[in-house]
Amino acid sequence: MTVNLRGRSAVADRSAGDPLDHLRTLIQALPVPTAPMTFPSRDAALGLALMDLSFRLDHLPRLSEHLTLMDRGHMSRVISVDVDLDLISPRLRNTLVVPGEAAPGGGAAALWVPVSRYSRRDLAPVAIRDSSGEVVPRLTHRDANRVTAAAFVALLSMLINAHEDVAAPASPIHQLRHTHQRSRWLIEAAITELIMVGSPVGQRLHSPLDHAALAPRGEGRPGDSRSVRALALAGLDTLFPAEGGDHMMVPFARLLQLATRQYILVAQLGLDRPRRFLTWEAPLLPAQHRPAPLQTLAKNMLPVNREFVVEYETEIPRSVKAYHLTLEVRQEISVRRFLMSSNVDDEFVEVLAQDLESVAGRAEPLGGHHKLLELEMQGIASRLAELGRRRLIDLASYEAYLARLPIPVGLGSAPPHRELTSDEVIAALSEGDCSLEVLAAFCAHYAADGLQHLARTGLAGEALVNIADGLRAAQVGWDVTTDNDPREHGAHAHWRRPSVELSPQSTEPVRAFAYMALADEAPALIESITRMVAGLALMVLGIGTLLSGGLDWLYSSRVADDFVPEQPDAVVAVLLLVPGLLLARLALPSTRSVLGQLHKYQRSLAAASVVVTTALAIAIGTVRSDLEMTRLFQVALAVLIVILVCCLCEFYARRNHRSSSVPRSARVPRWLRDARRSTRRVVEPDDFFDARGEV
Amino acid sequence: MTLPASSTKSSELARIAAEAAGTSSASVRFAVIHGPANGNDGPLPMALEDPDPDKEDPDAFPTDFLHFSAAGLSVSTSTWPSAMSAFSGRVQIGLPEHTGRRDTFAYSGHAVPNPGFIHQSTRKVEVLITLGNTHWSPTYREALMQALIIEKLTGLAAERGAPVLHLHTPVAPVPQPHGSDRGDGSNEPLRDAVGPCLRFAIGMDPRMSGTRLDFETELAALAEEYGFGLKLDDQRFNRVRGEWFTIRGFDRERYRQARGRLFPEVPVLTPRRAMIASVVGPSRTGTTAAAVGALRARGIGVLAASISSMRKTTFINLVLPVDGAATSPFPQWSGGWLDALPRLEQCAGHRPAAADESDEGLIADWKVALSPAMRCTYPQSSKQTGATTTGRVPYPIWLWWQLPYRTVDTPALLAEVQAALQPHTQRCEVAYAQSRLCRGDVVRGRAKLIVMLSQEHRDHNAVQRLLTDATDAAQERLRERLPALGGIDAGKVRLRLSPRERWLTYAGISA
Repeated sequence: MTVNLRGRSAVADRSAGDPLDHLRTLIQALPVPTAPMTFPSRDAALGLALMDLSFRLDHLPRLSEHLTLMDRGHMSRVISVDVDLDLISPRLRNTLVVPGEAAPGGGAAALWVPVSRYSRRDLAPVAIRDSSGEVVPRLTHRDANRVTAAAFVALLSMLINAHEDVAAPASPIHQLRHTHQRSRWLIEAAITELIMVGSPVGQRLHSPLDHAALAPRGEGRPGDSRSVRALALAGLDTLFPAEGGDHMMVPFARLLQLATRQYILVAQLGLDRPRRFLTWEAPLLPAQHRPAPLQTLAKNMLPVNREFVVEYETEIPRSVKAYHLTLEVRQEISVRRFLMSSNVDDEFVEVLAQDLESVAGRAEPLGGHHKLLELEMQGIASRLAELGRRRLIDLASYEAYLARLPIPVGLGSAPPHRELTSDEVIAALSEGDCSLEVLAAFCAHYAADGLQHLARTGLAGEALVNIADGLRAAQVGWDVTTDNDPREHGAHAHWRRPSVELSPQSTEPVRAFAYMALADEAPALIESITRMVAGLALMVLGIGTLLSGGLDWLYSSRVADDFVPEQPDAVVAVLLLVPGLLLARLALPSTRSVLGQLHKYQRSLAAASVVVTTALAIAIGTVRSDLEMTRLFQVALAVLIVILVCCLCEFYARRNHRSSSVPRSARVPRWLRDARRSTRRVVEPDDFFDARGEV
Repeated sequence: MTLPASSTKSSELARIAAEAAGTSSASVRFAVIHGPANGNDGPLPMALEDPDPDKEDPDAFPTDFLHFSAAGLSVSTSTWPSAMSAFSGRVQIGLPEHTGRRDTFAYSGHAVPNPGFIHQSTRKVEVLITLGNTHWSPTYREALMQALIIEKLTGLAAERGAPVLHLHTPVAPVPQPHGSDRGDGSNEPLRDAVGPCLRFAIGMDPRMSGTRLDFETELAALAEEYGFGLKLDDQRFNRVRGEWFTIRGFDRERYRQARGRLFPEVPVLTPRRAMIASVVGPSRTGTTAAAVGALRARGIGVLAASISSMRKTTFINLVLPVDGAATSPFPQWSGGWLDALPRLEQCAGHRPAAADESDEGLIADWKVALSPAMRCTYPQSSKQTGATTTGRVPYPIWLWWQLPYRTVDTPALLAEVQAALQPHTQRCEVAYAQSRLCRGDVVRGRAKLIVMLSQEHRDHNAVQRLLTDATDAAQERLRERLPALGGIDAGKVRLRLSPRERWLTYAGISA
């Protein structure tokens, strides 16, 4: 369950305290070097260039992921990227040139190009192929780590050189730079060790110091290891002060953390063909969690026509212009719903919500500067309007998706529209109602210049806090992309970066989440089973009727005298053979597969009906009393009818699932559920796959 | 300490470091040229002639360039990446070199860039301060008042750890919009080329909106206290640079009173001579406030200023008035900041109490280049003062361009633009120009030119049409010329000339 830990890393980091904790531990634990680490400056430049490119990946205009559900619990992924080397600036390209590598015939040189980052835990070999199917050479992990370490050493020295204390002789920075170099070498050695070995996620670094009871000593002589370590730690504190750490510590610590937990996948690409298509198989993804056993039992034991719900989460580099997610399952399975949602505008919404709260909290000082408040309010209004416009487009595409489903969910299910006046919109927003309807009306009123003096309305003030809460609760920053694959056993979502990026400076990866409901659609197993159960019921009815010579036995308490057949063997044979033959006609899948999960309940229905007829056959072979025989036939028929009713319930449940307009998932944005007035409880998916931090 | 989810700053740090390491540059080489804007021997050379043209220098083209001209004095700054790392301190500067042109000197040096100066991910808050509504010819008192305001404004930013992205004065004032002037701005009155205005931008973390609001509130309070006009960039979605939201109008009476109260003894005369001081060092927040504060405490005002960061190195270019009573020539000089202060005090001619030295630690090891004292001139007319009678008014024209690196350098481009505008204008000067090397190896720049049209017109609409025709024609001419000049693929040339700032594409640079 490696992915499990990865998913929680953010939470674990928060509890870990100091982000440079691991580095400090190693500074305490490593032997003090007596000579500097030697890294060629070329390595440092290459490492920094790789690090820069691998965070942004802005030379990848398109990214595709092809998912295949292997069985329940494992998903295989094939990742394809379009690489455009022309998007890498020529200066950076000079750094990336593979030394001594010229194409035969004196052609263009080759570059080391990062194409992905993935977790250090996934050590399955990755073979990158280009469009002709040839394997592309890769940089080994060891070399990638070495250049990354060189990059960090270079970055550290840049930071020291530019520090304001570097010319102040008594300061730790000056000592690190000029007089006490062993401490700097120690920091460099610690960084190198950390990058080469990697660091565990969310826990303390295990070091030899945990096993030794070191004698407490005083300050230490100048030049001994204790003072060297103390200076190294003091230097770190000065370079990365904890207060105002946003400036330096957090970016540096975050870089170091990514470098110690992820590998860069670096391919060697020739400059002769700047546009390439690369594809590789990512390490197999295990499912991350299972729903509670009781819930699974209920799904398997009740006639709810279960769907198999798979959720998938990944990260897309923000600079990627197009992202394709395709899913393929066995032909017997239908993809009933496929929906992708990404948090592309989430940062924008968070900034907007913080703006709202700040303005609300400063009502008093801002009140004295009316125009300043008006500017803020107009800025907020313009952004709210834009959000409303965007989400309305998403909703329209979702409605279109519902309408083009094989079994369409028509407009009839959509709630009726309300038309709001500007006062109503402001009143609704003030109460924190950020539903799409209100935002769309707000957008229209804003565009029609209906909201020109907002500072004087009731919106300015505490109402802003409600709007901020409403925006966060409605998850307005999440967009929706729908399936456009005409096949039933496949799905495809095409996500495009919005033409106007709302948080233009951000390089934060976009989190994307896909919801897939897999189901058994017509011609479904349940239909065959219903026919089989009905057939068996008819058979039992027929035999009973023939034996008693009429239909009286069904409802009358009178028992026919010759109910027990003269030759029971023939009846037994019919009762055993017919269900056996019918059962053999049903293709029952293995229980490990997804289809097996979907068919679990229906299979038990089929088995139950066969058990009934078999039991009846055994009874016929053994029982000699007319009364008992009649009762047994009655019981068997009743049980078969109950099973038949269960089958019909399945049909009803299937109809319900088909007409459901919004997936019952906690990851589907709230605004979409609200827009379709979905009040039903959300349910956990059957499988959840987390590929974050890899792409 | 928590790790925020944001990795934007980390990737920016990686980028800065990669760019610094990629060009084998441990430092930044810079060249500053000071001189009169329009002497008898032509305009200020914006770049030095290469002393050794045979040398194949891969970095012959400067990565960043800044030109600024005000009061008849000009300064040009260029930077290159440099492999040199062995020098003491964080910045060094050479002796002034005479360029052969009168009063024109070049200073070159090296500086260590500060990779920790991260501001790409910040939200830019741009401010336009109005310090008067007549044409621009500041007195000693106004220069001091301006220094005080620069100090206060940049101090407000420094208190919050917000870097000053750029600061310019004088700049083109923005006419007060009328209710009916909406939409594309085609109806808006033409702007003056130069007015007693100050424009500056700071970078704020978008997630710290409280800090931004506090800054803006204090700015508004400051505007109320001193009476200056305050405009903020329009923060509405889809608004571009050059669109302003008026927070406070200019209060002439209050400004006059504040000026008289604060500097009662300073003469109300327009300086005849001025000098340029360029203060150079690694970028850090609070440096502008420290530099201008130290000068102001010594009774030195600021006539004009152009402050900008290039390659993580800050260049504070100030035009300082020279005391009218002082007769000494004040020759060119370069050296450390602390050594420069007594010299500057001498120029100012008056000595108030010793300044508080505490703030100056921030820039104590910075270097200063001083030009010789030069005669300064002021524009004689503006739309407000001169248009109605003569029609001979300087108008601003904005220029935005994007060209591949190492094709046409910025001084050559500006010369081309001036040549292209020649048929329509009597005079055409570059008031400011700035270009930067951006990601993808393109150089992007913005410039403001001041033109006097060759045809005189009093009618607003006629002038507007003339300006539009002139810029359109010049733009066409440039599009044809540039590919031939630099051997560039015509598809990669992007250039826009416009009499309105907001019609330029957003360039993403500060200038």
